[in-house]
Amino acid sequence: MKSWFNKGEHWIWFSASAVSVSLVLVFGLLAMIAYKGLLHFWPHNVHDYQVTNANGQVEQVVGELHKTKLKLVADENDPTIVHEVPEYLIKTGNRDIYGIDFKWVNSRDLNEESVTIADNITVIERYQWGNVYGYFESLTVNGKTIATGTDIESVLDDLADKGNALHEKIHHIEKTVMGRINYQIESLRLDQKKLELKGEYDAQTESEFETQRAVLNQEFVELQASMQALHDEADSLGEVTLTIAGNQKITVKIKQVVRFWQPNNMSLLSKVGFFFGSIGNFLTEDPREANTEGGVFPAIVGTVTMVLLMTILVTPMGVLAAIYMSEYAKNGPLLRLVRISINNLAGVPSIVFGIFGLGFFVYVLGGSIDDLFYGYAAPNPVFGTPGLLWASLTMALLTLPVVIVSTQEGLSRIPRSLREGGLALGATKFETITRIVLPMATPAIMTGLILAIARAAGEVAPLMLVGVVKLAPALPVDFNAPFIHLENKFMHLGFHIYDVGFQSPNVEASQPLVYATSLLLVVIIVSLNLGAIMIRNRLRERYKSLGN
Amino acid sequence: MSELKSFSMNRASDKLSLENEDIAIEVKDWNLYYGSKQALTGVNMQLPRNRVTAFIGPSGCGKSTLLRCFNRMNDLIDSVSVEGTILLDNEDVYLKSMDVSALRRRVGMVFQKPNPFPKSIFENVCYGLRLQNIKNKQLLNETVEWALRGANLWDEVKDRLDDNALSLSGGQQQRLCIARAIAIKPEVLLLDEPTSALDPISTLAVEELIFELKKEFTILIVTHNMQQAARVSDYTAFMYMGDLVEYTDTDTLFTNPKLKQTEDYISGRYG
Repeated sequence: MKSWFNKGEHWIWFSASAVSVSLVLVFGLLAMIAYKGLLHFWPHNVHDYQVTNANGQVEQVVGELHKTKLKLVADENDPTIVHEVPEYLIKTGNRDIYGIDFKWVNSRDLNEESVTIADNITVIERYQWGNVYGYFESLTVNGKTIATGTDIESVLDDLADKGNALHEKIHHIEKTVMGRINYQIESLRLDQKKLELKGEYDAQTESEFETQRAVLNQEFVELQASMQALHDEADSLGEVTLTIAGNQKITVKIKQVVRFWQPNNMSLLSKVGFFFGSIGNFLTEDPREANTEGGVFPAIVGTVTMVLLMTILVTPMGVLAAIYMSEYAKNGPLLRLVRISINNLAGVPSIVFGIFGLGFFVYVLGGSIDDLFYGYAAPNPVFGTPGLLWASLTMALLTLPVVIVSTQEGLSRIPRSLREGGLALGATKFETITRIVLPMATPAIMTGLILAIARAAGEVAPLMLVGVVKLAPALPVDFNAPFIHLENKFMHLGFHIYDVGFQSPNVEASQPLVYATSLLLVVIIVSLNLGAIMIRNRLRERYKSLGN
Repeated sequence: MSELKSFSMNRASDKLSLENEDIAIEVKDWNLYYGSKQALTGVNMQLPRNRVTAFIGPSGCGKSTLLRCFNRMNDLIDSVSVEGTILLDNEDVYLKSMDVSALRRRVGMVFQKPNPFPKSIFENVCYGLRLQNIKNKQLLNETVEWALRGANLWDEVKDRLDDNALSLSGGQQQRLCIARAIAIKPEVLLLDEPTSALDPISTLAVEELIFELKKEFTILIVTHNMQQAARVSDYTAFMYMGDLVEYTDTDTLFTNPKLKQTEDYISGRYG
């Protein structure tokens, strides 16, 4: 034993166990997020419960088991004894009828034997008011009953597809086509104002503007008409009536149906298919119902756009600063001070960067830009308000120290002999840096960028101040020139998690979404990083044998 | 090897003398300081054109420092200050108005450790040409071939010019560096212990190369290896503690040195 200590074996064991603990924590965290997040997409069985309510009456509750909790209840006879009584949280849906989606059921009130997984329970996901849980009753189109009972399924399948296609069309017209026309009308208005300010707005240009505007307005009116037609068509698809728990009826318009499924009847294979379908919807759809339902597509686009823009901004800034400091600046107390400051900058809380971004970028810089170039848009701010550009710039500032430090390290690792080799061939110092030193330092620069991406994609606090919103009206990238709208506000997965999880009116419903979104955020950061790591490895391969 | 031997025998018969040479570089009262420490003291010498001049001496005697003065590589070190004149073809190398890049194109240099760039063999050789904005593909190809042939490397690499230069062996890398240096056709070639990191076979290849190259270039070589100095050089300068102790033709220096200090060094009694 003594010799074991003398050899220092215990230190090896200490360090090994530290590594294991870290690994277990990291993988445990990832596994939990992945499990809880992915569970959200699985079609859970719907149970039929008989519950005794406070009045002693037996009540029917239909829904998915969402969560189980142990409640501590004091014994009726002896208050010193405490019983652990399980309580079940049942997702009952039908929010428009019951008022809430969830119901707590105490196991004491539950007639355990009565719990059944009844066939033919249908779940309908709606565009509004959440899910419906119930049994098909009848399907009527224009007042005529087309199908009843189990026949409804196939009929509804077709009709729901039609409804979704119409919904898609309406959505496209609303967001893309009308968005474009609105954008053009707005630019026309601004152009006119610009000319007015310059004093060049005369009768001729006025008539030109009026013609253009008339064309756009005409288009707009036509679109509205076709939208109305689509809405009418969607309305005429009919409605489906279901019997829900408590012997109530609920009628759902078919245009409201996103999709429906009968989880208790589904085979494992169709459940797996449903699972992947749900993930697909989650990734490609817009959020609904105050972000508590639907997908996160705008948040994905926002996060990725912001991170890429940040990378474009931070790379030249960081690399140039590092080149100046390690190649040109004279070594001395001033340089040391600058280095220390940069290192400390990495430790400044991110919210401070957010406040700086808001105070300096948004109000000072953005305000000045508006004064100088967008005077015609006044009083509406263009850049003088939080937006994508300022968020990316703030993030670039936040991640600048990381990029500078790793670039400097990379530069200092390039052997002196290579620089001399370049200089001896008649290259100037600048040529040596750009042609030899910098290309060889690219793996180190990539390392800096990988760290920067990971940091920026996961940051929430500063973004709330400089451009991220709960629900952005438009994507920051679209098909209207100039395609990327730097002044737009945008959505971000990190903020989405915060918003859905902690600011949502429907906490229980959105909790699985929090896990799913977290998982997605992790996946996005990992894939952005993997991309950067792959580029770095390819570069490293090229300069590999340099060490010897 | 036999060729080298016969060459040195030939040389012994018609004795070299600086008076008969065309002088390429002239060093006058040259002093160099690292901060306050003097590294070269009053060096005066004339370096003949199209000859190989070797610099020998113990470590730290200033021979590399002197070599690096000819293409102003010492400029890179902040603390260095110099006094005196170095004339390259009667032009003052240390003139303020001197274009250092242009000077380095005229005075090429090969370093102690092979330092190829992490690029292809072809790109390494034409690096200096690309710096001069030469884009003519044919001219580049011809020059690369000429330089690689000149450096005795062409036959070994002609089929893999696009391979990374770092995949070459140490000796090949050093010859590649020589090819890179001669590709820009300098007047003077500085070799700073070019074979110290090489095995005997590669060393031999480089020495044969030096013998070939002196037809076109003025070569200055710093070496620790006295046999090497004796083998490849026409003139040898012995330096000690920043002083140029003795400088004459190689045969005389090695067979009949004037000073005892030189004799002690070449016979291995110190250093």
